[in-house]
Amino acid sequence: MSGRDYLGEFEHIIVLALLRLDDRAYGVTVRQEIEFRTNREVSIGAVYATLDRLETKGFVKSHRGDPTPERGGRSKRFFRVTAKGVAAVNRTQRALQRMTEGLDLIRTYS
Amino acid sequence: MTSQADFLQPPRPAVWLVNLFTSAEEAESILGDLLEEYFHLVSKSGVAFARNWYWRQTVKTIAHLVGAGFRVAPWSTTAAAVGGFLLLRFVSGLPERAIFAVLHRYQVFEHHFNGYVFFATNGIAIGHVIVSMFVGCIVALAAKGREMVATMTLGLVLGALAGAAMLAWVARTGDASSLWMRPWYFADSVAIVMGGAIVRTRRSAAMLRRSNA
Repeated sequence: MSGRDYLGEFEHIIVLALLRLDDRAYGVTVRQEIEFRTNREVSIGAVYATLDRLETKGFVKSHRGDPTPERGGRSKRFFRVTAKGVAAVNRTQRALQRMTEGLDLIRTYS
Repeated sequence: MTSQADFLQPPRPAVWLVNLFTSAEEAESILGDLLEEYFHLVSKSGVAFARNWYWRQTVKTIAHLVGAGFRVAPWSTTAAAVGGFLLLRFVSGLPERAIFAVLHRYQVFEHHFNGYVFFATNGIAIGHVIVSMFVGCIVALAAKGREMVATMTLGLVLGALAGAAMLAWVARTGDASSLWMRPWYFADSVAIVMGGAIVRTRRSAAMLRRSNA
């Protein structure tokens, strides 16, 4: 298994946000979901750069919605996680769990 | 004069910058998302806050897009930048040669001494900027789709070299009096990026015309 089968930290967060948002996942909702849950300001460019990378790897797929007036007549780009993406997020989660097993992180390092 | 409707819109230079660094398809999603959140922030927190937010997002977004653009095609971007560097080395002597040829041909030194001094100093500097912009255009034409990444890479390399050379010279001579000329040292880098911006803007306009036709 190569390093490419695992997700990077921000890729991991993005895929989890897509899974949470389900069919409502596009740039704005993904960015807001991450800001809301992680308390860190994220740029829309970082979100799209990561989503494009994930799409190249086959972990997510995108399709265009209809243009809307509140977006100046521009369309939304919706994203969803593929089966390969779900497998990658599971693998990454398991690796993280194995790495943290037996560590009392709060008591030891806080 | 800025109308009320214009004032409520996101800052135009920021929108132009995002357009400059994105493909037409990317711009559709990114500018749409930014506009949607911007109007939401205008109604929630006011125009000033929303405009600040838009600028912050623009700067961070461009930084990410430049990084991503380089990571996607590092070799072709580097090749375009190296080609531009070599081309610049080849053509950088042209302004001096051309200006002095004209000055000697028309004997400007004898008839218009002030004009001679102007062209022999500022004229050459302006010539360098024009040549650099031309090289920026060539690099952008070669790096189709990554015009800004390629020209910024070349501009940053030249800027770093100019900065290092300037510091080395000051360290060796101990004479910092010529530092007032500093903006000129970086003018070539800026001109190269401007060349990239010109090509990118023209390509975007041509694509828009084609899609509207």
